[in-house]
Formats: sequence, C-alpha cells, structure tokens
Amino acid sequence: MKRINSNPRPGWKAFAESVGFNFHTFDGEPYWDETAYYQFSLEQIEQDLEQPTEELHQMALDLVDDIVSDEQKLQQLAIPPRFWDAVLASWRAKEPYLYGRMDFSYNGSGPAKLLELNYDTPTSLYETGFFQWVWLEDQLMRGELPQGADQFNSLQDKLQQAFGELNLAQPFYFASVTESIEDKGTVDYLMDIALQAGLNCRYIQLEQLGDIDGQLVDLDGFPVHGLFKLYPWEFMLQEDFAGTILTSQTQFIEPLWKCLLSNKGILPLLWQKYQGHPNLLPAFFDDGSSLQNGWLRKPLLSREGANIELLTAEGKTFKQDGPYNDSGYIRQQLAPLPKFGDSYTLIGSWVVGDSAAGICIREDNSLITKDSSRFIPHIILD
Amino acid sequence: MSKTFKRSKTARLIMMVPAAGMVLAGCGEKPVEVQVFNTPDECAAYYNPPAECKAAFAEAKALHPQVAPRYASKQECETDFGSGQCETAPVLAANNSVATGSSEQSQPQSQQSSGFFMPMMMGFMAGQMLNRGGMAGTPQQQSAATNRSPVANQPLYKSRDDRGTFRTATNTPVASQPGATSIRPSAVQPKPATMARRGGFGAQAAKRNVGSYGG
Repeated sequence: MKRINSNPRPGWKAFAESVGFNFHTFDGEPYWDETAYYQFSLEQIEQDLEQPTEELHQMALDLVDDIVSDEQKLQQLAIPPRFWDAVLASWRAKEPYLYGRMDFSYNGSGPAKLLELNYDTPTSLYETGFFQWVWLEDQLMRGELPQGADQFNSLQDKLQQAFGELNLAQPFYFASVTESIEDKGTVDYLMDIALQAGLNCRYIQLEQLGDIDGQLVDLDGFPVHGLFKLYPWEFMLQEDFAGTILTSQTQFIEPLWKCLLSNKGILPLLWQKYQGHPNLLPAFFDDGSSLQNGWLRKPLLSREGANIELLTAEGKTFKQDGPYNDSGYIRQQLAPLPKFGDSYTLIGSWVVGDSAAGICIREDNSLITKDSSRFIPHIILD
Repeated sequence: MSKTFKRSKTARLIMMVPAAGMVLAGCGEKPVEVQVFNTPDECAAYYNPPAECKAAFAEAKALHPQVAPRYASKQECETDFGSGQCETAPVLAANNSVATGSSEQSQPQSQQSSGFFMPMMMGFMAGQMLNRGGMAGTPQQQSAATNRSPVANQPLYKSRDDRGTFRTATNTPVASQPGATSIRPSAVQPKPATMARRGGFGAQAAKRNVGSYGG
C-alpha cells in the first residue's frame, strides 16, 4: 500500500459536473482529490480487505439473530421498545437488504481493524462506484497509470445485479433530505442504476412523504409500497411519522432490522461474541468513566465522525464536536489511522448483498475522518 | 488465460448524464387509444368481449369513491354536476391503495359516510381491451415488461352544463361519445381525493443541519 502523487486529468471538474458530481468541492476545499492515488497489491486487497469484509459481514448478520429477541441488547442499542416487535418481524421476514460499508484502519500489513459499520445510510457511493472507476479508465488511457492497473471496485455491477434480483415493489421510490445535494447525488446514482436494472423508479423528497390512514403515500396520494430512504432509521423512529412505519404497507431499503447494525453498539456486541478476532478491536459500552490513553469514545448513533473523543497512546486528546450528543456512547480501543505524508487514511469497504464490492479511501489531516475528508482514488498493481 | 478484473465491467449512467438523459414524462409523451362507455353493455355492443367490459367497469366502480371529487355539501356538488346527480362519499378504509388498473382492488368500500358528497359515476374508461374483431380500433401495443395499458380503467363523470362530455375525476374531458378515443396517459392518471398528512419525516435533519444524512 503506497501513496503516489499523480497528475489530475485536465478539466476534470467540468467533466464531474456534467455527470452529476456537484459536490466534488466542499466549502472551497477539495473533496474529490486526484492529485494522488493509493496503490495496493492484489494480495492486500483480497486477503486483507475483501475476505475479512465478507467474514465480518456474516458475523454481523449472525449477531442480529442474537439481538432481535434479547431485551437487554435492544436496550443497550437504545432501540425504542415500541419498535422491538417490528424489528424482530422485519428480521424474521428476511426483509432484503441492499448495501453497507465498513470502515477499516489498515496500513498495508497486518489485519485491517474494523472501526465501525455504516449499514443503514452509507454514502460516498457515487464517488466510489462511478467517478473513481472513470478516473482509472481515463488515466489508463492517458498513460498516467501503468498498464494493467486494476481497481477493487465492482460496486456498480453488483448494485445493478442486486436491483435486478431483489424483487422490489414498483414503482420503487427513492427519498432523501431536500437540502442535501450530496445525498441527492447518492440517491440519483442509485436510481440511475435501478433504472438500468429495469425498475420503475421515482424520486420523492423525504419531507414530502405523506400519510393517509397509516399508509405512506407520494405527492399524488398513491401508496408508497417500496422506498429507499437515505435517512437514518434512528431519526425516523422518533419523528411524527414513526407510527406510520408500523402500519404502512411499505418495503424499506434498508430494512428496519438494519437499525441494529448501523448502531455503534454493535461493536461491543461483536467483541463480546467474537473476542480476539483479528479484525476486531476491543470495545465496550461506555460506563462514563474517564478515557484511558489509546482509547476513544463515540456515540451509539452518529455520522461523519461527529462527537468522537479520542485519546492517543501518548495521552493527546482529540475531540470532534457535532450534533449527535443525544444517545449513549461506546468506547473502543484506538487503532490509529496510518499516516501517509501529512494525511491520515481510512479505508471504506463496500458490501452489496453479502459480497465485498470494492473500497473507497478517505484522507484527513486529523485522526478523525469527517464528512469533509478528501476522497482519494486507488489502483491495484502487482 | 483471461485476467479476472476486480472492477466493474462498465459504469454507465443513463439519468444523471443530461445529454443521454431520458424523457420521463410530458411533451414527448405519446397518445394512446382508450375506449369510453356509459355501461358495460354498451361496451360489449362495441364488439368488445363482455367479460372484459364487466371487469373494466368493476375496476372503475371500485376506484370511483377513491378518486371522485369531494364536496362539503350536496348543494355544492349539485352546482357542478346537476340536481340528483350526487351521492354521499364513504370513508375510505386504511391502506386502501388506488387501483391503477389491477383487478384485485375491487374490494367493497366502507359504507360509512364521510360527511362528504361526490358526483355519481356516469361512465367508465377502459384502458386496455382485447378487441374481438378490431372494429373499434387496434389494441394498444403493450410493452413486454408490464403487458398493461399505461391508462387505468377508471370512472367518468358528466358536468351539469355539459351532459354530452365524459370527464375524468380531475375534470379532464376525454370524449363526447362512446367508443374509441385518444388521450395522453398522464392527463388521465387517477389521483386519490383523500388529503394526506405530510412532513412527518425530516425533523431531525432540520434540527441537526449537517450536509449529509448518510455517513
């Protein structure tokens, strides 16, 4: 695993905007950054990332079975008791799922360490599946990359296959928060792939979803029988239409039971069940005591690195503020992100259905990866 | 020996790329042929299979209480549709989806009155009909994917001042005589008359105000 400086494609920004990538720059700072790329060996990809991703995925699914009928665990994950039966029913009915992403700390050798699961609303999908792919093809064509370079990125192929096989209700609706262009970009990308898979797709702003007698409906009042929602379950379960979730004849992607896996409480539960697994870090539910060196504390429910408190092995504290301070916390042993040059590097590893489907790399100037962290493409070359 | 790639074979976009974008609806829409009738018997007389006429009528009839315009008083309704041409509107049962052409939707409506009034159904539109001989027009070419007409079988109405014209529940005139007529599917898409509550999701987003609700 190496970081290699690279010449960006001339005019890539205009190209990005022409293909719907309107969030390539974040508050004036680059989000998509092709001034460098990471290079992996095929062995690193297959043995250190792909195989553990699929194994950890199966371990997480096995754990769901333990949680759904265990009140203590449901309580530890702060699932509102009103929804326990629905979560159980959703799992027992084997409600299908589309995708997820796990984040790893990995420096090219030794086991990748699982930092967390993003199993409900993972983003940076378009950047990974499409824009990173096009970058590789373009740079191969321009001779900027060595011939024979490949990429661990079968995301779009696998998503299209999944949309074709999931047997989703039609028309199938996609919803995201109105104000977020990043989320709209992600949803547009998924809709585009679903269209190519032959689905009848419609977009609806999340806030425009209606309720008629307990049924979710679209703007014309038609029932929404299938819905991809780029909006966290833990929010939906506490909003005005929370009750609608219990009565509406709607197939959700991701399904309700995924609220168990997108919860950071899954990390201590994984450690309880699989203590010592090479890809897991010791993790516990937080007891409120002060952090020890080499540990970090993060909320059960948070996103984009928000509300994380971290103490390095040397005792240096890093804290990231954010809007997710209203849930319980877990603590996890620190696996510091590797440093390449001035950047700390995190690897996101995608899962579609039950298959590992590629990686994305995020860089930040701090140990905590955030929404604003740069996206760097990668290649495989032996 | 063929090399196995770890990346997608293609990464094509059809919607996000404007140049290759699709026309989803609107001016590019092609008109389709439908038939309108006062009664199922009249439909059968136009050389259509009687069973299909009955089925289309039943679907339209089931849709009627869901899509008919609703009025707070009988008088207001009769102002638009004529004396003796209005009836009480039932309360709609929960999860009652508006049929867009499927026959499983013909369950009996709740008879409980909602306190609203609606015009009586005066005819129906048959979106797709297997013609017995072909006199009343060639059946619409169907896409293999759906094998259904893009137009729902639906109730039709007649206004007080224009008794000759068949109108949809949303007051779109479709024909002035029984038989075949040509319409744009989006113009006759049935819409539920019921009012939905909205805005029940998204409050946490407004409160937290971050750039993305993914992660």
